[in-house]
Amino acid sequence: MLNEERVILMTKMASYEATDGKKHIKAGNFFRGDYLSIEVMKSLVYGTLAFALGFGLYVLYDFEVFMQDIYKMDLFVFIQNILIYYAVFIVIYGVVSYFIYSYRYKQARIHLKRYYQNLKKLSMLYQKK
Amino acid sequence: MTKLLELRENLKLILNRYEAFIIPIGKFLLAFSVLSVVNGQMGYMSRLDNAALVLIVALTCSFLPLGAQIFFGAIFSLAHMYTLSIEVALVGLCMYLLIFVLFFRFGPKDALVVLMTPLLFFMKIPYVMPIAMGLLGGPASAISVGCGVVVYYLNYSVVNNAATISTMGGDEAVAKIRLIIDSAVANKEMLIVAAAFVVTTLAVYFLRRLAMEYSWTIAIVSGAMLNLVILMLGDLIYDVNISVVGAILGGIVAIAVGKVIEFFRFCVDYRRTEKVQFEDDEYFYYVTAVPKMAVAAPAKTVKRINSATAPTRSVTTERTVAGQGRPRTGSSRSVTVNSQMVSSRRTADSDRADDYEEIF
Repeated sequence: MLNEERVILMTKMASYEATDGKKHIKAGNFFRGDYLSIEVMKSLVYGTLAFALGFGLYVLYDFEVFMQDIYKMDLFVFIQNILIYYAVFIVIYGVVSYFIYSYRYKQARIHLKRYYQNLKKLSMLYQKK
Repeated sequence: MTKLLELRENLKLILNRYEAFIIPIGKFLLAFSVLSVVNGQMGYMSRLDNAALVLIVALTCSFLPLGAQIFFGAIFSLAHMYTLSIEVALVGLCMYLLIFVLFFRFGPKDALVVLMTPLLFFMKIPYVMPIAMGLLGGPASAISVGCGVVVYYLNYSVVNNAATISTMGGDEAVAKIRLIIDSAVANKEMLIVAAAFVVTTLAVYFLRRLAMEYSWTIAIVSGAMLNLVILMLGDLIYDVNISVVGAILGGIVAIAVGKVIEFFRFCVDYRRTEKVQFEDDEYFYYVTAVPKMAVAAPAKTVKRINSATAPTRSVTTERTVAGQGRPRTGSSRSVTVNSQMVSSRRTADSDRADDYEEIF
Protein backbone atom coordinates (compact mmCIF):
# COMPACT_ATOMS: atom_id res chain seq x y z
CA MET A 1 0.00 0.00 0.00
CA LEU A 2 1.13 3.54 -0.69
CA ASN A 3 2.74 5.32 2.24
CA GLU A 4 2.00 9.02 1.85
CA GLU A 5 4.83 10.22 4.10
CA ARG A 6 7.32 8.11 2.15
CA VAL A 7 6.04 9.37 -1.19
CA ILE A 8 6.30 13.02 -0.07
CA LEU A 9 9.83 12.46 1.21
CA MET A 10 10.92 10.68 -1.96
CA THR A 11 9.39 13.42 -4.14
CA LYS A 12 11.27 16.12 -2.22
CA MET A 13 14.51 14.18 -2.47
CA ALA A 14 14.06 13.45 -6.18
CA SER A 15 13.36 17.12 -6.82
CA TYR A 16 16.54 18.08 -4.94
CA GLU A 17 18.59 15.44 -6.80
CA ALA A 18 17.36 16.77 -10.12
CA THR A 19 18.25 20.40 -9.37
CA ASP A 20 20.92 21.62 -6.93
CA GLY A 21 21.58 18.11 -5.67
CA LYS A 22 23.67 17.18 -8.72
CA LYS A 23 26.13 19.99 -8.04
CA HIS A 24 26.10 19.45 -4.30
CA ILE A 25 26.68 15.70 -4.53
CA LYS A 26 29.59 16.36 -6.91
CA ALA A 27 31.09 18.85 -4.44
CA GLY A 28 30.40 16.51 -1.53
CA ASN A 29 32.57 13.81 -3.14
CA PHE A 30 35.63 15.96 -2.40
CA PHE A 31 37.33 17.03 0.80
CA ARG A 32 37.07 20.78 1.27
CA GLY A 33 40.74 21.38 0.45
CA ASP A 34 40.64 19.27 -2.72
CA TYR A 35 37.44 20.92 -3.94
CA LEU A 36 38.79 24.42 -3.35
CA SER A 37 42.15 23.57 -4.98
CA ILE A 38 40.44 22.28 -8.13
CA GLU A 39 38.08 25.23 -8.41
CA VAL A 40 40.79 27.83 -7.72
CA MET A 41 43.05 26.13 -10.29
CA LYS A 42 40.24 26.32 -12.84
CA SER A 43 39.79 29.99 -11.96
CA LEU A 44 43.51 30.61 -12.51
CA VAL A 45 43.27 29.08 -15.99
CA TYR A 46 40.19 31.18 -16.84
CA GLY A 47 41.81 34.26 -15.29
CA THR A 48 44.95 33.77 -17.42
CA LEU A 49 42.78 33.51 -20.53
CA ALA A 50 40.89 36.67 -19.54
CA PHE A 51 44.15 38.54 -18.88
CA ALA A 52 45.45 37.49 -22.31
CA LEU A 53 42.25 38.81 -23.91
CA GLY A 54 42.49 42.07 -21.97
CA PHE A 55 46.15 42.46 -22.93
CA GLY A 56 45.24 41.79 -26.57
CA LEU A 57 42.62 44.54 -26.45
CA TYR A 58 45.14 46.90 -24.84
CA VAL A 59 47.68 46.24 -27.60
CA LEU A 60 45.01 46.68 -30.29
CA TYR A 61 43.87 49.96 -28.72
CA ASP A 62 47.36 51.46 -28.89
CA PHE A 63 48.63 49.35 -31.78
CA GLU A 64 50.33 52.18 -33.73
CA VAL A 65 52.09 53.60 -30.67
CA PHE A 66 52.99 50.11 -29.55
CA MET A 67 54.57 49.27 -32.93
CA GLN A 68 56.47 52.57 -32.98
CA ASP A 69 57.84 52.09 -29.48
CA ILE A 70 58.56 48.38 -29.59
CA TYR A 71 62.11 48.88 -30.88
CA LYS A 72 62.82 51.75 -28.50
CA MET A 73 61.39 50.33 -25.28
CA ASP A 74 63.22 48.19 -22.77
CA LEU A 75 61.51 44.87 -23.43
CA PHE A 76 62.70 43.37 -20.14
CA VAL A 77 61.04 46.18 -18.12
CA PHE A 78 57.92 45.96 -20.29
CA ILE A 79 57.58 42.18 -19.72
CA GLN A 80 58.32 42.67 -16.01
CA ASN A 81 55.49 45.23 -15.76
CA ILE A 82 53.09 42.94 -17.61
CA LEU A 83 53.97 40.07 -15.26
CA ILE A 84 53.38 42.28 -12.20
CA TYR A 85 49.93 43.28 -13.53
CA TYR A 86 49.20 39.64 -14.29
CA ALA A 87 50.25 38.55 -10.79
CA VAL A 88 48.11 41.23 -9.10
CA PHE A 89 45.09 40.36 -11.27
CA ILE A 90 45.41 36.62 -10.85
CA VAL A 91 45.90 36.85 -7.07
CA ILE A 92 42.77 39.01 -6.67
CA TYR A 93 40.75 36.73 -8.97
CA GLY A 94 42.04 33.64 -7.16
CA VAL A 95 41.16 35.06 -3.72
CA VAL A 96 37.65 36.02 -4.87
CA SER A 97 37.21 32.52 -6.35
CA TYR A 98 38.43 30.96 -3.11
CA PHE A 99 35.83 32.81 -1.04
CA ILE A 100 33.00 32.13 -3.49
CA TYR A 101 33.76 28.42 -3.72
CA SER A 102 34.33 27.97 0.01
CA TYR A 103 30.88 29.53 0.57
CA ARG A 104 29.39 27.19 -2.06
CA TYR A 105 31.07 24.16 -0.51
CA LYS A 106 29.67 25.10 2.90
CA GLN A 107 26.18 25.47 1.44
CA ALA A 108 26.54 22.15 -0.39
CA ARG A 109 27.50 20.36 2.84
CA ILE A 110 24.51 21.85 4.68
CA HIS A 111 22.10 20.70 1.97
CA LEU A 112 23.74 17.30 1.67
CA LYS A 113 23.49 16.81 5.43
CA ARG A 114 19.75 17.42 5.21
CA TYR A 115 19.55 15.10 2.19
CA TYR A 116 21.33 12.27 4.02
CA GLN A 117 19.07 12.78 7.05
CA ASN A 118 16.10 12.36 4.72
CA LEU A 119 17.68 9.23 3.26
CA LYS A 120 18.05 7.80 6.76
CA LYS A 121 14.46 8.71 7.56
CA LEU A 122 13.32 7.02 4.36
CA SER A 123 15.27 3.90 5.19
CA MET A 124 13.63 3.84 8.67
CA LEU A 125 10.20 4.21 7.09
CA TYR A 126 10.92 1.17 4.90
CA GLN A 127 12.12 -0.81 7.92
CA LYS A 128 9.00 0.11 9.88
CA LYS A 129 6.92 -1.40 7.08
CA MET B 1 -6.67 40.41 -0.52
CA THR B 2 -8.42 37.05 -0.41
CA LYS B 3 -9.28 37.38 -4.10
CA LEU B 4 -5.64 38.13 -4.88
CA LEU B 5 -4.48 35.15 -2.84
CA GLU B 6 -6.98 32.93 -4.65
CA LEU B 7 -5.72 34.28 -7.96
CA ARG B 8 -2.16 33.47 -6.91
CA GLU B 9 -3.10 29.92 -5.97
CA ASN B 10 -4.95 29.48 -9.27
CA LEU B 11 -1.95 30.78 -11.19
CA LYS B 12 0.29 28.34 -9.35
CA LEU B 13 -2.07 25.50 -10.18
CA ILE B 14 -2.14 26.47 -13.85
CA LEU B 15 1.64 26.78 -13.93
CA ASN B 16 2.06 23.37 -12.31
CA ARG B 17 -0.45 21.74 -14.60
CA TYR B 18 0.79 23.18 -17.90
CA GLU B 19 4.47 23.58 -16.99
CA ALA B 20 5.51 21.38 -19.92
CA PHE B 21 3.98 23.90 -22.36
CA ILE B 22 4.42 27.19 -20.49
CA ILE B 23 8.22 26.94 -20.07
CA PRO B 24 9.01 26.30 -23.78
CA ILE B 25 6.53 29.02 -24.78
CA GLY B 26 8.21 31.45 -22.35
CA LYS B 27 11.65 30.53 -23.69
CA PHE B 28 10.40 30.97 -27.25
CA LEU B 29 8.94 34.42 -26.49
CA LEU B 30 12.12 35.52 -24.73
CA ALA B 31 14.38 34.33 -27.56
CA PHE B 32 12.08 35.87 -30.15
CA SER B 33 12.05 39.26 -28.35
CA VAL B 34 15.82 39.28 -27.78
CA LEU B 35 16.65 38.40 -31.39
CA SER B 36 14.05 40.81 -32.76
CA VAL B 37 15.46 43.63 -30.61
CA VAL B 38 19.02 42.81 -31.77
CA ASN B 39 17.86 42.81 -35.41
CA GLY B 40 15.76 45.94 -34.92
CA GLN B 41 18.54 47.90 -33.25
CA MET B 42 21.50 46.72 -35.33
CA GLY B 43 20.21 44.96 -38.45
CA TYR B 44 23.35 45.55 -40.55
CA MET B 45 23.37 42.00 -41.92
CA SER B 46 20.30 41.72 -44.13
CA ARG B 47 20.44 37.90 -44.18
CA LEU B 48 19.96 37.76 -40.41
CA ASP B 49 17.31 40.45 -40.34
CA ASN B 50 14.71 37.96 -41.44
CA ALA B 51 11.57 37.12 -39.45
CA ALA B 52 11.54 33.48 -40.61
CA LEU B 53 15.12 32.93 -39.43
CA VAL B 54 14.39 34.60 -36.07
CA LEU B 55 11.35 32.36 -35.71
CA ILE B 56 13.33 29.20 -36.44
CA VAL B 57 16.11 30.12 -34.01
CA ALA B 58 13.58 31.11 -31.32
CA LEU B 59 11.78 27.79 -31.78
CA THR B 60 15.09 25.95 -31.44
CA CYS B 61 15.85 27.94 -28.28
CA SER B 62 12.52 26.96 -26.74
CA PHE B 63 13.78 23.38 -26.33
CA LEU B 64 17.35 24.23 -25.35
CA PRO B 65 18.74 25.52 -22.02
CA LEU B 66 18.78 29.27 -21.41
CA GLY B 67 22.51 29.38 -22.18
CA ALA B 68 21.66 28.67 -25.82
CA GLN B 69 19.72 31.94 -26.01
CA ILE B 70 22.78 33.86 -24.86
CA PHE B 71 24.85 32.02 -27.46
CA PHE B 72 22.45 32.84 -30.31
CA GLY B 73 22.01 36.43 -29.10
CA ALA B 74 25.81 36.90 -29.08
CA ILE B 75 26.13 35.27 -32.55
CA PHE B 76 23.45 37.57 -33.99
CA SER B 77 25.02 40.65 -32.41
CA LEU B 78 28.55 39.68 -33.57
CA ALA B 79 27.33 38.96 -37.10
CA HIS B 80 25.80 42.44 -37.32
CA MET B 81 29.01 43.95 -35.91
CA TYR B 82 31.02 41.97 -38.48
CA THR B 83 28.93 43.39 -41.32
CA LEU B 84 29.56 46.89 -39.99
CA SER B 85 33.27 46.34 -39.49
CA ILE B 86 35.50 43.38 -38.71
CA GLU B 87 37.37 45.44 -36.08
CA VAL B 88 34.15 46.14 -34.20
CA ALA B 89 33.30 42.43 -34.29
CA LEU B 90 36.77 41.65 -32.92
CA VAL B 91 36.27 44.02 -29.96
CA GLY B 92 32.75 42.59 -29.43
CA LEU B 93 34.08 39.02 -29.46
CA CYS B 94 36.82 39.90 -26.96
CA MET B 95 34.24 41.54 -24.66
CA TYR B 96 31.84 38.59 -24.81
CA LEU B 97 34.69 36.16 -24.17
CA LEU B 98 35.89 38.24 -21.22
CA ILE B 99 32.41 38.23 -19.71
CA PHE B 100 32.08 34.49 -20.32
CA VAL B 101 35.49 33.59 -18.93
CA LEU B 102 35.61 35.94 -15.94
CA PHE B 103 32.06 36.15 -14.66
CA PHE B 104 29.93 33.40 -16.09
CA ARG B 105 31.99 30.89 -14.17
CA PHE B 106 30.41 32.15 -10.96
CA GLY B 107 26.81 32.44 -12.05
CA PRO B 108 25.97 30.23 -15.05
CA LYS B 109 22.40 29.88 -13.75
CA ASP B 110 21.77 33.60 -14.19
CA ALA B 111 21.88 33.47 -18.00
CA LEU B 112 18.37 34.89 -17.98
CA VAL B 113 19.61 38.07 -16.25
CA VAL B 114 22.23 38.78 -18.92
CA LEU B 115 19.49 38.45 -21.55
CA MET B 116 16.82 40.35 -19.69
CA THR B 117 18.93 43.37 -18.65
CA PRO B 118 19.51 44.67 -22.22
CA LEU B 119 15.88 43.86 -23.02
CA LEU B 120 14.69 45.94 -20.05
CA PHE B 121 17.01 48.77 -21.13
CA PHE B 122 15.28 48.66 -24.50
CA MET B 123 11.88 48.81 -22.75
CA LYS B 124 13.15 51.80 -20.70
CA ILE B 125 12.69 50.00 -17.36
CA PRO B 126 16.20 48.71 -16.54
CA TYR B 127 15.89 49.68 -12.85
CA VAL B 128 13.60 46.69 -12.32
CA MET B 129 16.46 44.24 -12.78
CA PRO B 130 18.63 44.95 -9.68
CA ILE B 131 15.56 45.00 -7.42
CA ALA B 132 14.17 41.77 -8.92
CA MET B 133 17.50 39.95 -8.70
CA GLY B 134 18.13 41.18 -5.16
CA LEU B 135 14.78 39.65 -4.21
CA LEU B 136 15.00 36.43 -6.21
CA GLY B 137 18.70 35.73 -6.60
CA GLY B 138 21.81 35.50 -4.46
CA PRO B 139 24.83 37.79 -4.09
CA ALA B 140 26.36 36.28 -7.28
CA SER B 141 23.41 37.70 -9.25
CA ALA B 142 25.01 41.13 -8.87
CA ILE B 143 27.78 39.94 -11.22
CA SER B 144 25.23 38.84 -13.84
CA VAL B 145 23.37 42.15 -13.59
CA GLY B 146 26.69 43.98 -14.12
CA CYS B 147 27.43 41.75 -17.15
CA GLY B 148 23.99 42.56 -18.58
CA VAL B 149 24.74 46.29 -18.29
CA VAL B 150 28.09 45.84 -20.10
CA VAL B 151 26.42 43.82 -22.90
CA TYR B 152 23.78 46.53 -23.36
CA TYR B 153 26.28 49.40 -23.49
CA LEU B 154 28.55 47.51 -25.89
CA ASN B 155 25.70 47.07 -28.38
CA TYR B 156 24.41 50.58 -27.71
CA SER B 157 27.80 52.13 -28.46
CA VAL B 158 28.07 50.13 -31.71
CA VAL B 159 24.62 51.40 -32.80
CA ASN B 160 25.51 54.95 -31.73
CA ASN B 161 28.79 55.01 -33.64
CA ALA B 162 27.62 53.00 -36.64
CA ALA B 163 27.41 56.07 -38.90
CA THR B 164 30.94 57.20 -38.01
CA ILE B 165 32.38 53.69 -38.37
CA SER B 166 30.80 53.14 -41.78
CA THR B 167 32.41 56.33 -43.11
CA MET B 168 35.87 55.25 -41.95
CA GLY B 169 38.08 53.56 -44.49
CA GLY B 170 39.75 50.17 -44.28
CA ASP B 171 43.10 51.79 -43.39
CA GLU B 172 41.62 53.21 -40.17
CA ALA B 173 41.29 49.87 -38.41
CA VAL B 174 43.01 51.01 -35.22
CA ALA B 175 40.89 54.17 -35.08
CA LYS B 176 37.73 52.05 -35.27
CA ILE B 177 38.92 49.82 -32.45
CA ARG B 178 39.82 52.85 -30.36
CA LEU B 179 36.43 54.44 -31.02
CA ILE B 180 34.52 51.35 -29.91
CA ILE B 181 36.68 50.74 -26.84
CA ASP B 182 36.41 54.39 -25.82
CA SER B 183 32.65 54.52 -26.23
CA ALA B 184 31.89 51.06 -24.81
CA VAL B 185 34.51 50.07 -22.24
CA ALA B 186 35.67 53.48 -21.06
CA ASN B 187 32.10 54.78 -21.01
CA LYS B 188 31.55 56.58 -17.69
CA GLU B 189 27.77 56.23 -17.92
CA MET B 190 28.15 52.47 -18.23
CA LEU B 191 30.48 52.33 -15.25
CA ILE B 192 28.08 54.39 -13.10
CA VAL B 193 25.02 52.35 -14.10
CA ALA B 194 26.90 49.04 -13.60
CA ALA B 195 28.14 50.18 -10.16
CA ALA B 196 24.64 51.38 -9.17
CA PHE B 197 23.03 48.09 -10.27
CA VAL B 198 25.63 45.90 -8.54
CA VAL B 199 25.39 47.84 -5.26
CA THR B 200 21.57 47.89 -5.42
CA THR B 201 21.35 44.14 -6.05
CA LEU B 202 23.61 43.41 -3.09
CA ALA B 203 21.80 45.91 -0.82
CA VAL B 204 18.36 44.48 -1.68
CA TYR B 205 19.63 40.93 -1.13
CA PHE B 206 21.13 41.66 2.30
CA LEU B 207 18.21 43.83 3.48
CA ARG B 208 15.55 41.31 2.53
CA ARG B 209 17.35 38.60 4.50
CA LEU B 210 17.37 40.63 7.72
CA ALA B 211 15.27 39.22 10.53
CA MET B 212 12.96 42.21 10.82
CA GLU B 213 9.37 42.90 9.96
CA TYR B 214 8.56 44.06 6.43
CA SER B 215 12.15 43.32 5.40
CA TRP B 216 11.17 42.73 1.76
CA THR B 217 9.28 46.02 1.46
CA ILE B 218 12.13 47.88 3.17
CA ALA B 219 14.61 46.20 0.82
CA ILE B 220 12.59 47.14 -2.28
CA VAL B 221 12.12 50.81 -1.35
CA SER B 222 15.68 51.27 -0.02
CA GLY B 223 17.09 49.54 -3.10
CA ALA B 224 15.20 51.84 -5.47
CA MET B 225 16.31 54.91 -3.51
CA LEU B 226 19.93 53.76 -3.27
CA ASN B 227 19.97 53.14 -7.01
CA LEU B 228 18.66 56.65 -7.62
CA VAL B 229 21.18 58.22 -5.24
CA ILE B 230 24.16 56.44 -6.86
CA LEU B 231 22.98 57.42 -10.35
CA MET B 232 22.50 61.06 -9.32
CA LEU B 233 25.86 61.19 -7.56
CA GLY B 234 27.56 59.69 -10.60
CA ASP B 235 25.78 62.18 -12.82
CA LEU B 236 26.92 65.07 -10.60
CA ILE B 237 30.53 63.95 -10.40
CA TYR B 238 31.08 62.81 -14.01
CA ASP B 239 28.37 64.85 -15.80
CA VAL B 240 27.07 61.97 -17.93
CA ASN B 241 23.51 63.26 -18.49
CA ILE B 242 21.49 60.50 -16.85
CA SER B 243 17.79 61.37 -17.07
CA VAL B 244 16.58 62.25 -13.55
CA VAL B 245 12.89 61.91 -14.47
CA GLY B 246 13.56 58.59 -16.19
CA ALA B 247 15.44 57.32 -13.13
CA ILE B 248 12.62 58.40 -10.76
CA LEU B 249 9.88 56.88 -12.93
CA GLY B 250 12.00 53.76 -13.43
CA GLY B 251 12.43 53.54 -9.65
CA ILE B 252 8.65 53.72 -9.14
CA VAL B 253 8.10 50.95 -11.71
CA ALA B 254 10.84 48.92 -10.02
CA ILE B 255 9.09 49.29 -6.64
CA ALA B 256 5.77 48.19 -8.20
CA VAL B 257 7.38 45.14 -9.83
CA GLY B 258 9.21 44.40 -6.57
CA LYS B 259 5.90 44.41 -4.67
CA VAL B 260 4.41 41.98 -7.21
CA ILE B 261 7.41 39.68 -6.75
CA GLU B 262 7.01 39.98 -2.99
CA PHE B 263 3.36 39.00 -3.26
CA PHE B 264 4.22 35.84 -5.16
CA ARG B 265 7.38 34.93 -3.27
CA PHE B 266 7.12 36.21 0.31
CA CYS B 267 3.54 36.92 1.27
CA VAL B 268 3.44 36.77 5.06
CA ASP B 269 1.10 38.06 7.72
CA TYR B 270 3.14 39.99 10.31
CA ARG B 271 0.05 40.56 12.49
CA ARG B 272 0.03 36.85 13.37
CA THR B 273 3.74 36.67 14.22
CA GLU B 274 4.51 34.19 16.96
CA LYS B 275 7.51 34.38 19.27
CA VAL B 276 8.34 31.13 20.97
CA GLN B 277 11.10 29.99 23.30
CA PHE B 278 12.29 26.48 23.98
CA GLU B 279 15.46 24.65 24.90
CA ASP B 280 17.25 21.39 24.40
CA ASP B 281 20.39 19.97 26.03
CA GLU B 282 22.73 22.39 24.28
CA TYR B 283 20.82 25.54 23.31
CA PHE B 284 18.07 27.99 24.19
CA TYR B 285 15.98 28.85 21.15
CA TYR B 286 14.26 32.21 20.61
CA VAL B 287 12.19 31.73 17.48
CA THR B 288 10.07 34.22 15.57
CA ALA B 289 7.62 32.44 13.27
CA VAL B 290 5.73 34.50 10.70
CA PRO B 291 2.80 32.69 9.08
CA LYS B 292 2.43 32.78 5.32
CA MET B 293 -0.73 34.25 3.87
CA ALA B 294 -2.45 31.47 2.03
CA VAL B 295 -5.89 30.41 0.94
CA ALA B 296 -6.85 27.19 -0.75
CA ALA B 297 -7.59 27.51 -4.43
CA PRO B 298 -11.36 27.36 -4.91
CA ALA B 299 -12.23 23.91 -6.21
CA LYS B 300 -15.15 23.48 -8.56
CA THR B 301 -17.51 20.82 -7.27
CA VAL B 302 -20.07 19.18 -9.46
CA LYS B 303 -23.08 17.98 -7.52
CA ARG B 304 -24.91 15.07 -9.11
CA ILE B 305 -28.56 15.25 -8.31
CA ASN B 306 -29.61 12.12 -10.18
CA SER B 307 -27.02 9.78 -8.67
CA ALA B 308 -27.13 8.75 -5.00
CA THR B 309 -23.88 6.77 -4.80
CA ALA B 310 -20.44 8.30 -4.43
CA PRO B 311 -18.18 7.97 -7.49
CA THR B 312 -15.96 4.93 -7.27
CA ARG B 313 -12.98 3.75 -9.23
CA SER B 314 -11.45 0.33 -9.48
CA VAL B 315 -7.77 -0.34 -8.94
CA THR B 316 -6.24 -3.66 -9.83
CA THR B 317 -3.07 -4.54 -7.98
CA GLU B 318 -0.77 -7.38 -8.93
CA ARG B 319 1.71 -8.99 -6.61
CA THR B 320 4.99 -9.94 -8.31
CA VAL B 321 7.94 -11.89 -7.00
CA ALA B 322 11.38 -10.40 -7.76
CA GLY B 323 12.86 -11.87 -10.91
CA GLN B 324 9.69 -13.68 -11.99
CA GLY B 325 7.99 -10.89 -13.94
CA ARG B 326 4.20 -10.63 -14.22
CA PRO B 327 2.13 -13.28 -12.47
CA ARG B 328 -0.28 -15.45 -14.36
CA THR B 329 -3.85 -14.36 -14.81
CA GLY B 330 -5.95 -15.11 -11.78
CA SER B 331 -3.45 -14.11 -9.08
CA SER B 332 -4.39 -10.40 -9.11
CA ARG B 333 -6.75 -8.83 -6.60
CA SER B 334 -9.20 -6.01 -7.11
CA VAL B 335 -9.67 -3.06 -4.71
CA THR B 336 -12.40 -0.48 -4.93
CA VAL B 337 -11.35 2.98 -3.67
CA ASN B 338 -13.86 5.55 -2.66
CA SER B 339 -12.77 9.06 -3.73
CA GLN B 340 -13.70 10.47 -0.29
CA MET B 341 -11.26 8.07 1.35
CA VAL B 342 -8.38 9.42 -0.70
CA SER B 343 -9.09 13.09 -0.15
CA SER B 344 -9.50 12.85 3.61
CA ARG B 345 -6.22 11.14 4.32
CA ARG B 346 -3.87 14.09 4.02
CA THR B 347 -1.98 14.50 7.26
CA ALA B 348 -1.80 17.87 8.93
CA ASP B 349 1.84 17.50 9.98
CA SER B 350 3.27 17.50 6.48
CA ASP B 351 1.40 20.69 5.62
CA ARG B 352 2.18 22.50 8.82
CA ALA B 353 5.87 22.89 8.01
CA ASP B 354 5.00 24.93 4.90
CA ASP B 355 2.75 27.36 6.76
CA TYR B 356 5.60 29.47 8.12
CA GLU B 357 8.31 31.47 6.40
CA GLU B 358 11.86 30.84 7.49
CA ILE B 359 13.31 34.24 8.34
CA PHE B 360 16.67 33.29 9.81
